[in-house]
Amino acid sequence: MRVSLNWLREFVDIDMSPEQLADHLTMLGLEIESVERLGQDIKNVRVGQIRSIEPHPNADKLTVCQTDVGDGQPLQIICGATNMKVGDKVPTVVDGSVLPGGFKIGRRKMRGVESQGMMCSETELGIGEDAGGLLILPEDVSLGADVVSLLELDDVVFEIEVTPNRGDWAGVIGVAREISASLGEELELPDIHLITSERQQAADVSSVTIDDEELCPRYAGRILVEAEVGESPAWMKARLHAAGVRAINNVVDITNYVLIETGHPLHAFDLDTLTEKRIIVRRAEDGESIRTLDGVERKLDRDVLIIADAKRPVAVAGIMGGEDTEVGESTQNIFLESAVFNPRFIRHGSRSLGLITEASQRFQRGADPAMARYALDTAAALMREYVDTDVLEGVLDEYPSPERPRQVTLRYLRTNEVLGDEVPPHRQSKFIQNLGFETVEETSTASTFRVPTWRHDVREEADLIEEVARLHGYGAIEPEIPKIARRGEDLAPEEMRLRRLREFVVGLGYTECITLAFGNPEDTKAAGLNGGAGDMVTLMNPLSEKHSAMRTSLLPGLLRTCAHNLNHGVDDQALFEMGPVYFPRDNQTLPSQHSRLGLLLTGRRRPAHWSEDDADMDFYDIKGYVEAILEYFGLQPTFRESHQTTFLPGQAAEILAGDKPAGCFGQVAPGASRAYEIDADVFVAELDLDVLLGIPRTPPQYRPSPPYPPYLRDMAILVPRDLPAGDVIELVWENGGELLQDVQLFDVYTGERIPEDKKSLALNLVFQSHEKTLSSNDTQAIWDRIVEQLQERLGAALR
Amino acid sequence: MKEKLETIRQQALEEITHAAESEALEQTRVKYLGRKGELTQILRGLSQVAPEERKTMGQAANEIKEAIASALEGRKRELEAKELEEQASRNRADLTLPGRRPRIGHKHLVSQVIEEIVDIFSGMGFQTATGPDIETEYYNFESMNTPEDHPARDLHDTFFVKDGVVLRTHTSPVQMRVMESTNPPVAVVVPGRTFRVDNDASHSPMFFQIEGLLVDKEVNFAELKGALMHFVHSFFGKDTAVRFRPHYFPFTEPSAEMDISCTVCGGQGCRLCKHQGWLEILGCGMVHPQVFRYAGYDVEEVTGFAFGMGVDRIALLKHSIDSIHHLYENDLRFLEQF
Ligand SMILES: [Zn+2]
Repeated sequence: MRVSLNWLREFVDIDMSPEQLADHLTMLGLEIESVERLGQDIKNVRVGQIRSIEPHPNADKLTVCQTDVGDGQPLQIICGATNMKVGDKVPTVVDGSVLPGGFKIGRRKMRGVESQGMMCSETELGIGEDAGGLLILPEDVSLGADVVSLLELDDVVFEIEVTPNRGDWAGVIGVAREISASLGEELELPDIHLITSERQQAADVSSVTIDDEELCPRYAGRILVEAEVGESPAWMKARLHAAGVRAINNVVDITNYVLIETGHPLHAFDLDTLTEKRIIVRRAEDGESIRTLDGVERKLDRDVLIIADAKRPVAVAGIMGGEDTEVGESTQNIFLESAVFNPRFIRHGSRSLGLITEASQRFQRGADPAMARYALDTAAALMREYVDTDVLEGVLDEYPSPERPRQVTLRYLRTNEVLGDEVPPHRQSKFIQNLGFETVEETSTASTFRVPTWRHDVREEADLIEEVARLHGYGAIEPEIPKIARRGEDLAPEEMRLRRLREFVVGLGYTECITLAFGNPEDTKAAGLNGGAGDMVTLMNPLSEKHSAMRTSLLPGLLRTCAHNLNHGVDDQALFEMGPVYFPRDNQTLPSQHSRLGLLLTGRRRPAHWSEDDADMDFYDIKGYVEAILEYFGLQPTFRESHQTTFLPGQAAEILAGDKPAGCFGQVAPGASRAYEIDADVFVAELDLDVLLGIPRTPPQYRPSPPYPPYLRDMAILVPRDLPAGDVIELVWENGGELLQDVQLFDVYTGERIPEDKKSLALNLVFQSHEKTLSSNDTQAIWDRIVEQLQERLGAALR
Repeated sequence: MKEKLETIRQQALEEITHAAESEALEQTRVKYLGRKGELTQILRGLSQVAPEERKTMGQAANEIKEAIASALEGRKRELEAKELEEQASRNRADLTLPGRRPRIGHKHLVSQVIEEIVDIFSGMGFQTATGPDIETEYYNFESMNTPEDHPARDLHDTFFVKDGVVLRTHTSPVQMRVMESTNPPVAVVVPGRTFRVDNDASHSPMFFQIEGLLVDKEVNFAELKGALMHFVHSFFGKDTAVRFRPHYFPFTEPSAEMDISCTVCGGQGCRLCKHQGWLEILGCGMVHPQVFRYAGYDVEEVTGFAFGMGVDRIALLKHSIDSIHHLYENDLRFLEQF
């Protein structure tokens, strides 16, 4: 909200610079987002009176005016406007004046005639949008007076962020009240001198009916007759402009003016357009509709509160008026409304109609029923003066159950316990009183206060403690490091394990990605995963189709990241993400959430180096990393072929950890790569961390290393080409006896000198004893047995 | 005899000095000290020398032998050094050529920042707690004293999964989950993903928060300030100024926002801090009694404080990153800078 300093000063004495005030307000909880100085660069613009208007000899659209600024000799000014007449007083710029934007005015010739200055429109003064004609000032302003001070153009505007709990701050008076309370200054609310006309009683002309007082606790109206709808005075336009509101006509401007001043929204109806001149506050009926002031035809239903006349909706209550009953130039008689509506209902209506207005925002925060009446009378008095209307005697004020003020007790000791400070009791109660609370009862240890009608937010003691803290100053409370009693049990032990795993994977050379945890069925299917309607947690209000559901796998995010980086010229990638995936769950309120680890490799095996040839990664790279990570978990997994369509057939595996499926890995199939616009060989893995972390781990038990040197022997065998190497190794182990300590496969060869259907495997067998240094004699028997078994069971032949 | 010895000494030292390579030096050694060497011969022949001279001659011969041996040793080192230097000049490592580096992985900046913040608080005694990303409206809003139609809900543009189930808009629901499952005292930090329907220059629909909650007998606002100032000084540096100003959150009362002096201008005013000199870092306050009532805690028995901060914003500020979207785009050229 934009609040003018001059306006604030009408209600409270402020003896500080605008910067100090901004800081002061911020530290009170009214966060100042910006401070704007108005009228700063307007210099020497004075009130001039037009003495004569003559046609310009060389231009049809210009006139030559003699304008007197009180210096004796009138100035000759060439002017393009047409709305002025002789005798009008206008803002006049003399030689050497400065206009907004630092625009300097000097003498110059226009079409051969000298112009010694300029007469201004409101746009040129920076106070409005009407550039069509000169700003005509009231007759009673004095000649030669400085226009800046006359119109209070020299102002400071604060942009204030009003928190949702403080509806009372959404008006100049509310802000002034806060300043007065914090400074211990008086808040000067002017008395309203409303002179009413006795020629008719308001109640004889119109009537107000509230259908449901729950939804509209108070509805007050006044009748104004014989109005002269026209322009507002310049000072009011300037104020509205400072507040960021466009001037429309004097009636609407006054309702806006009072809204800004009091924070209370008003609405003016053209009385003669109201059927039977009646006002009924009720829920809309299904099928009813209204064309609102913004020109939009809106369908209404039972959940929208409306103002109706005898026949039809004339306004969406507390949100926006209707076009049919709008006050316009032809309006003569006015129904002026000031009401209080149920905040929840307004919020609901505003959302369901998609219509957020100044009024709806204020009613949502809770209006002050007392202020409703004050605002009504203030506006009526202004209209009497500036709309030249008669205000009929009597108020149509329906307020069936006046709100009972709440009472809240504050214990002084409690305040100090909560704040960790020593605020003396008398200061505590003074702070609260300054804010407009009345003391109902006071003892040496506590006080009970009556909560003012504008403080909907104060409900219990904690709220009063906050008020004390605010006025005492948060900065005045000395910080102290809390002494925390250490609890025993760890609340999220898996967090630390995940964190260590992250370190480990980073140590393997992978860079961590964090992708948005959204997904969509199409992407999911493109990655070869289940993406049917029931397979994903979908969002009711997604930002886009791309983010229409929650992800069920980390792979789509990694593939997209890979594509992004390939597009930016990064060919070698080792990426990982650790994070949640989500699945719908039957008969449960919340979906399930699982931790996953995703890996992606593409490009060269090692960073390019001048000393060696590049080698691209392949299936056994991703497998090696998966093995390393499983070993980190202390697991000896088994792998079996995977047929998931994510992967290239024959280049994919499922991981089984202790018989539980724990993930998969392999080379990404061309179809999936294409879908993600990847033109490279990509290898991915996805591990289920819930499974891996869930496998109980017993501490590894120490095995002494043999003290004698190992006896090594290499074995080269030919085996059928499709025989898994694992079968060979397993067999060797089975027959190796106690002396066999290790078996390493160090070569796999197919090609020249090897039959088509065979492959050559080279194994290194490590024998070692705890008793002595071994020789070939000690191991020959084992060796022979292994060779024999290999031949017999696997059809292997020694080379 | 004496003269002969002296001649050998001079000759030998001369030859040693002039030996140009190890090979020649070795020949010199053999020539004088070898089994058939000149000096060896003399030493062997000492037995034929008259006994009265034998002692002095023996001494002299041994001295000469040591002198030659030491000269040989010295020259040998010199020649070795020279040969290594020659080798080096033929095969000198180019210090400007890159070494064979392993691939270096990088932890995501957000992870780094979360870990650093969590560590600071765990040093004060806070434990880590977590909760589900997809939450009930009850935990996300109601139990946090934000009932349906509360105006504060407008500030949270919420993703809905179905009626009553949302993507959590903040990490605060974990406060309630922890309090429901444990008795006071409670001291937790809660890092986690959060979501809001917002995607513009400064918002990402997914972002990270860290929540903190301390509940015990006699926890007060002074301690809230103390804990958070300790955090700021540890994370942003000792010279960072901190201020607390009143704000509004439904689940704390009194509530505050904490600002730190601008990380760019240090408080002088610049574009980043909108010329205010301060940057808003987090929201905090004393736990609202209504929240304790939802948790089943006795509001007269315990008090508490809570805070919540946006990890992303803190990461951006600390590392002068201009857009939150860099964090989740995962461009390697970005990730590898941290
Ligand atoms: Zn700055």
